[in-house]
Amino acid sequence: MVPDEMDSEIVRASNLNCGYGGEVVIKGLNFSVPAGRITTVAGLSGSGKTTLLKTLTGLIPPIEGEVYFSGQKIDYRSETSLNRLYQRIGVLYQNGALLNSLNLYQNVALPVRMLHPQIPKKILREMVFNRLSQVGLMDSSTKMPSELSGGMRKRGALARALILDPDVVFCDEPSSGLDPITSGSLDELLVEMRDTFRMTLVVVTHEVRSIERISDQVLLLHGGRLFFAGEMAAISASDDRFLRAFFLRKENEDDS
Amino acid sequence: MADQREERTGEALIRLPRSFRLPEVSPALSRLQKLAGESQVVLDFGEVEEFDSAAVAFLRYLRKNVPQAAIVNVGGKLAMAEKAFGGESASVSRGAGAEQGRIPRFFAGLGGRSSGIVDRVGHFLLMLSDEIYHLGRYVFRERRGVYPGETWNQLYFMGYRSYPITIILIFLVGVTIAVTSSDQLRLFGADVYLADLIGLSMLRELVPLMTGIILAGKVGAAVAAELATMSVLEEVDALQTMGVSPARFLMVPRLLGITMAVPLLVVIADVVGISGGVITASVKFGIPPSAFIDEMMNVVGWEDFFWGLVKTVVFGWAVVVGSGYKGLTVGRSAAEVGRATTESVVLSVSLIVLIDCIFAFILY
Repeated sequence: MVPDEMDSEIVRASNLNCGYGGEVVIKGLNFSVPAGRITTVAGLSGSGKTTLLKTLTGLIPPIEGEVYFSGQKIDYRSETSLNRLYQRIGVLYQNGALLNSLNLYQNVALPVRMLHPQIPKKILREMVFNRLSQVGLMDSSTKMPSELSGGMRKRGALARALILDPDVVFCDEPSSGLDPITSGSLDELLVEMRDTFRMTLVVVTHEVRSIERISDQVLLLHGGRLFFAGEMAAISASDDRFLRAFFLRKENEDDS
Repeated sequence: MADQREERTGEALIRLPRSFRLPEVSPALSRLQKLAGESQVVLDFGEVEEFDSAAVAFLRYLRKNVPQAAIVNVGGKLAMAEKAFGGESASVSRGAGAEQGRIPRFFAGLGGRSSGIVDRVGHFLLMLSDEIYHLGRYVFRERRGVYPGETWNQLYFMGYRSYPITIILIFLVGVTIAVTSSDQLRLFGADVYLADLIGLSMLRELVPLMTGIILAGKVGAAVAAELATMSVLEEVDALQTMGVSPARFLMVPRLLGITMAVPLLVVIADVVGISGGVITASVKFGIPPSAFIDEMMNVVGWEDFFWGLVKTVVFGWAVVVGSGYKGLTVGRSAAEVGRATTESVVLSVSLIVLIDCIFAFILY
């Protein structure tokens, strides 16, 4: 482990314009994601949160600008560069995106079996069960995704995202579709990951309560640009109308 | 990575390397297994500085299952990670471990809408080249990235599950051709040439075409629906960000499955289709089966069977590639699954007819 990497930035965007098929959704993004912290990406529905996430995880190329991962520029046209990125990130998708044809154990083991087929079965088993116990799903390893509840699917998907020790875990709306208690316990799990393993997390969400619970840094997208970047404390102190409207009003109007 | 493990006489010693990660775990384990006869094996973790959760899993496995292992010099960080159930993870840099491929990616643009027909054809061809590349790598023993056993599942679904419908339909086609053409032949008193007509048309044209169309309806629609659902549920994205190529993981087993399923289907279909003609000729027109077969063997040769088979295999590929393309290029809404499925059948049948036409010019 390189000590000075711990507190440095791990992802950096420079003059980033993101969008689909030439159509810019958000532009002029400059921000960095510090290692060992939770960064939340907030914004109204349609503000480009998911587009940004897809750009950072290498699924769509940026229209302009650069993304750096651990100081290295991501070349979106090179499969080698993207594969290097994929091997160092984990992604938790909105509904978990566990493969429906495989059971939970097989899903969590999938990245290891596909990328490192030489790993002995017994070690793999240990790795999978370590992760499953971490997310509290030891007893459900033989269940199919269709037999799991929404919260369990997300926790299972988190176990899969963590199995190869990613440097950064990206989460797309972890609390969507969950009741407040389940989403609260998922938030606790994310905070625990950060505290115990100094894991870096980038969480896309519009749940104000969730943002308040977990954020070290907030990136608020609004009006096609980065509206605000900073700590929660700075938001409470701010008198900007949109910031106050987004964070301080009752959270039932921006439901997507 | 330099292998720093060594062995001393009397007592077996395994010294684990400074950087002890997933790639180093399995050599360490096989080393350990070679020393299974020893009464005690000492595992020295003193030099380990960098590790990942595979190393932690290795350590935990030793403690639980290998009583003769004496584990010494486990460093503070590793011990902490072991206790914390999962493992140290910060700043694990996995070098160029599992890099794959150099072909420019095409999935990057999948979220976006392709505009014109030129774009779409280009996209289709890129995808096709990617699939051929991955299939080639798989066939030449690079098995990483394809789920074990999946090819057999696909063979079962595409081949075995397609038998009943293929048999019934091809038999009926044989009967129909016999009935409709015999009137014309009878006008010229050429009843017995019915055998030539049935034999040739079945082997060369009708069996390949009918099998292809049945596959388009049954296999193609299923492939498109399945892959489209996976795309909409972000499972394809999940594979991609895991570093697993969807072209490889999803398409290689399906292409191999269809390649094995088609020859089996064609052999049965040829037999059944001709039997339909034989039975009709004997029951309705009084041509004895032996006369039918004798006459047919005069004109039908192995090359007719062979080219029919080759053609059907190509049709099968067209169905899987076309449906795969439709399935993987859907947008983000559930409604598109239905649209992709319908379009996949249209595309598959069009491709089959187009390829059939090309074959006709090449072969005859």
